[in-house]
Amino acid sequence: MTTQDLCEKLNLKMLSKFSHKEVNGVFVSDMISDVMAGAKSGNLWLTVQTHKSIIPAANLVDVAAVIITSGKDVPEETIELANKFDIAVLSTDFPTFKIVGELYSLGL
Amino acid sequence: MEIKKIQEILEASVISGEGILESKIEHIYASDLMSDVLAFGKADSILLTGLATQQAVISAHMAEFKGVVFIRGKIPRDGSKDFAANHQLVLLSTNFDMYDACIKLENSKTEKPSPSQKLIEPKKSEEILLSQDFKIDGSDFTSAGSVSTEIKSILKKIGFDPKLIRRIAISTYEAEMNVVMHADNATVTLSVTPQYIQVIFEDYGKGIPDVEKALQEGFTTATDEMRAMGFGSGMGLPNIKRNSDELEIESEVGKGTKLQIKFLI
Amino acid sequence: MSEIKNVWEMTNIQFGFIVYEKCYQTNEMRTYFSLEDNPILGDRYREGKRHWTRVENAQSFRFDLKNINTGEVVKFDDLMGLMFCSGCLPDCELAVLQKKYEAERSMLIVAFGFFPQALTDPIPKSKLDILSDYFNQRRNHNRSKIIVASSTPIEDISRCRGDFLHDVDMLSQEPPPKERKQIF
Repeated sequence: MTTQDLCEKLNLKMLSKFSHKEVNGVFVSDMISDVMAGAKSGNLWLTVQTHKSIIPAANLVDVAAVIITSGKDVPEETIELANKFDIAVLSTDFPTFKIVGELYSLGL
Repeated sequence: MEIKKIQEILEASVISGEGILESKIEHIYASDLMSDVLAFGKADSILLTGLATQQAVISAHMAEFKGVVFIRGKIPRDGSKDFAANHQLVLLSTNFDMYDACIKLENSKTEKPSPSQKLIEPKKSEEILLSQDFKIDGSDFTSAGSVSTEIKSILKKIGFDPKLIRRIAISTYEAEMNVVMHADNATVTLSVTPQYIQVIFEDYGKGIPDVEKALQEGFTTATDEMRAMGFGSGMGLPNIKRNSDELEIESEVGKGTKLQIKFLI
Repeated sequence: MSEIKNVWEMTNIQFGFIVYEKCYQTNEMRTYFSLEDNPILGDRYREGKRHWTRVENAQSFRFDLKNINTGEVVKFDDLMGLMFCSGCLPDCELAVLQKKYEAERSMLIVAFGFFPQALTDPIPKSKLDILSDYFNQRRNHNRSKIIVASSTPIEDISRCRGDFLHDVDMLSQEPPPKERKQIF
């Protein structure tokens, strides 16, 4: 499964400019510490956090994409930073629990 | 769905609430952000979180949740257990991570939260008249913030605009921290009229030598941000002024300070 | 360049708080890692001449790195945190480096020790290299590199506007503000 498939199937909004990548799993957390300690390279990261520090965190653990749930507004500076480092920032209006169900039914 | 069922599905250990596992929950809410729990969480939910601190338990209680499941084997310390026990909250701990825990629950055909969660519309036309007194003890850091939290929850229940409540919460928190850090004790009076909300802080303490100066931004040696939190000698007054519609200060050195903060509705 | 994958793995992970304390009399700042459950902001106590006020509790974690080939464990308990350099001061040595790396989509991450020890006794470069190796070896996407650098070139921390990769405002009942507060 690639980030492209996900965007099409789940109707995710692509907020940043990035190259599509392969997704190998999902990590759900709103804590940067948790992500840094637990997420794996190639994971999708689901969070409601939108502060720009999610971008260096996402890059450090090398996630395939960040999905911002619950339709949170993402600040422009977060998107700009994501563009610089080729980090996919996607967005959905659904809350985390709901989107997890959708991802699971897609086989992740 | 009974909490007991959730415990079984998640193979969770019970940290607190062994006797109330039969209570039923209506929704599942997954978040590590406590402001979200308070803003969007619905009553009678269970919270899934990786935030193993007492604030998670307190937030769940304030949002009228029935329990908290800590993921990835996290277990909060004793303070959380005591709080949960005193407030009839179930605390569980599962080794699954957030994703797997959500999937397990999703698969067991639990009721899903509706995708469009709306904030409660404030009631505007009702004639509300309310007056309530609170006490603050100086130097009591363990309960610092409790009066502003209470005021906030009262106003929230009435249904005021969240933005207005936020301004009031910030201002009253500032004022409360000032009392805790600089005064002996204080009486706080909250009054609500159809036109405005007024909070009066009357403290017995050392007073402010130069009110004009204290109101200036940058009076303290602390940074703006610290001052915004109520730290430093600037006493957060500029922040109260910024967030309120009217601010009156009377102060006498060696006696105390009276702050009258008004917010127009 | 031949790279051996995943030589290092994280071990001994503990979640807790980075506590920032300030003495307003002497203007000193100190930080430490704490495992307490319910840290109280604004807590004050006196220690000799100093009156410490707790000005921030940032949630974080500590860890060690283990070499899975040799079993060697390198302790990172002296690491207060990692910061993304925002290039805020054009004349800062790190900002110049960040700009250079950014052009190739690599990222400069600044490692801080605890204060005040970090000012005189920074984390040795050999350990920072291990940290860089750890982050780079686990990457699937060969699009860029992570370079972990020492905080030593930062001349005045109070002017630095980088973002620590810590969790702040998580416990607040208010939605997180757009701008984080500046602690130093």
